[in-house]
Amino acid sequence: MAAKLWWVIHKDLVSEWRGRQAWPAMLVLGIAVVLVFSFQMDLLPQQKPALVGGLLWLAVFFAGIFALDRSFAAEREAGCWDGLKLYPVSPSVIYLGKVIVNVATLSALECVLVPLFVALADVPLLERPGDLILIAALGNAGIAAVGTLLSALAAGVRRSGNLTVLLVLPLTIPVVLAAAEATRLMVAGDLGPAWWRWVQLLAAFAVVFTTAGTLLFELAVEE
Amino acid sequence: MKPWSKTTFGFRQIGCTLAVVLAAAALAAVFFVAPTERTMGPAQKIVYVHVAMAWLALAGFLLVAGASVVYLVRRDLRYDDWALAAAELGWLCCGLTLVTGSLWARAAWGTWWTWDPRLTAAFILWCIYSGYLVLRSNVEAPHQRARVAAVLAVVGALDVPLVVMATRWFRGIHPASPGMEPLMRVVLLLGVLGFTAFFAMLLTRRRAQIRLERLLACLEQQVEAGPPFGAGLLTPPTSRHGMWHGQETVPQRLVPQRSGRPSSIRDPRGSS
Repeated sequence: MAAKLWWVIHKDLVSEWRGRQAWPAMLVLGIAVVLVFSFQMDLLPQQKPALVGGLLWLAVFFAGIFALDRSFAAEREAGCWDGLKLYPVSPSVIYLGKVIVNVATLSALECVLVPLFVALADVPLLERPGDLILIAALGNAGIAAVGTLLSALAAGVRRSGNLTVLLVLPLTIPVVLAAAEATRLMVAGDLGPAWWRWVQLLAAFAVVFTTAGTLLFELAVEE
Repeated sequence: MKPWSKTTFGFRQIGCTLAVVLAAAALAAVFFVAPTERTMGPAQKIVYVHVAMAWLALAGFLLVAGASVVYLVRRDLRYDDWALAAAELGWLCCGLTLVTGSLWARAAWGTWWTWDPRLTAAFILWCIYSGYLVLRSNVEAPHQRARVAAVLAVVGALDVPLVVMATRWFRGIHPASPGMEPLMRVVLLLGVLGFTAFFAMLLTRRRAQIRLERLLACLEQQVEAGPPFGAGLLTPPTSRHGMWHGQETVPQRLVPQRSGRPSSIRDPRGSS
């Protein structure tokens, strides 16, 4: 099982490495968004922490959803989807593989965007790297779990242009909200029970939707 | 088909009449019976409609989720008809909740909108409903549309508690259960009952309409395809997961009589 899961992940990473379809566009989009946000954040240093959480996570969401949308659309376009369906594993394994690849994609995006935010907007995001990694890991898992399922759903629809963003945004509002609040509290140095509550919400979201996605994926891609 | 005047006055008609009377009584009670509130004046009466709409928006969402789960288990398009009817009406009620709430907030708080938990949650619910309807309008094959929409409805239903939790942790100013005069409570209850009855009537009517639309599309498809060899002209579909057909047989009264049919109807586009 683990080996089969690994081959799904391996296939996606290799094809992304060779084709470079989604990542470069995603990174450029993310950098442009951060640049625009930083222009707008021309504030006093003590006002910036209140904004940075929301802006960082919006940038991650919009650039990331672009890559998530490609994760099944590309399969269909290249005719790879039929081959993937013949792969003798349960659809849940394919789903989990895709989620893991998408978590990796979002993490790579954050590795670029967070330092960029620190440099351009001069906000102390990297003061507590451990806490930021915890928030990012849970937030990525939540966005990837919902995004992968709905991207598979939208890829099966013929006129699916930009449908994924429309479907994923309202559903992931709890994640974006919780991650933004947790980041804001972290930057403010307030790691009390309020911060922990948002982290718990992020964890609950990730667990609920990874489970739901594993169970529903078969129904989403059935033909 | 019998003309309307000759149809029997059955349960459906009794139900519809009752629903209209109840809704009218509720509206009349709101305007003429409910006492005018001291500080807010007549604007407070929006609450009676607002609470009913909010309840129906939530009920509609639960109906969509329930019907979708049953569809996914049974694969019967009749449940999808229910889901679509409930989604359309729920979307409408959710929109009306936002509009009436906004009007009330302008009168009570002096602002059209605040990022209060319940307002935010209602707004997100409305966005999810809208996404559901947009997704549906992008798929044509009935079973595919039903399946895709049902998966989204289940995910949406799982999302709602988390949305409520996330938005509640911001400090809110929405009145939870404001102190009300007994007469006001009675009118509020009557309003909820009346609008729920009206909602139920619209739901069943819309459901019937959606089902007829689907059967009509099914018939058109069959007429266009021509009769299968050695079978009656309009045989009920047999394929369970067929692209276009429900499991349902098209009722006989909807099937045009074969004897009076001009022969050219077999292939409307054929020149021969």
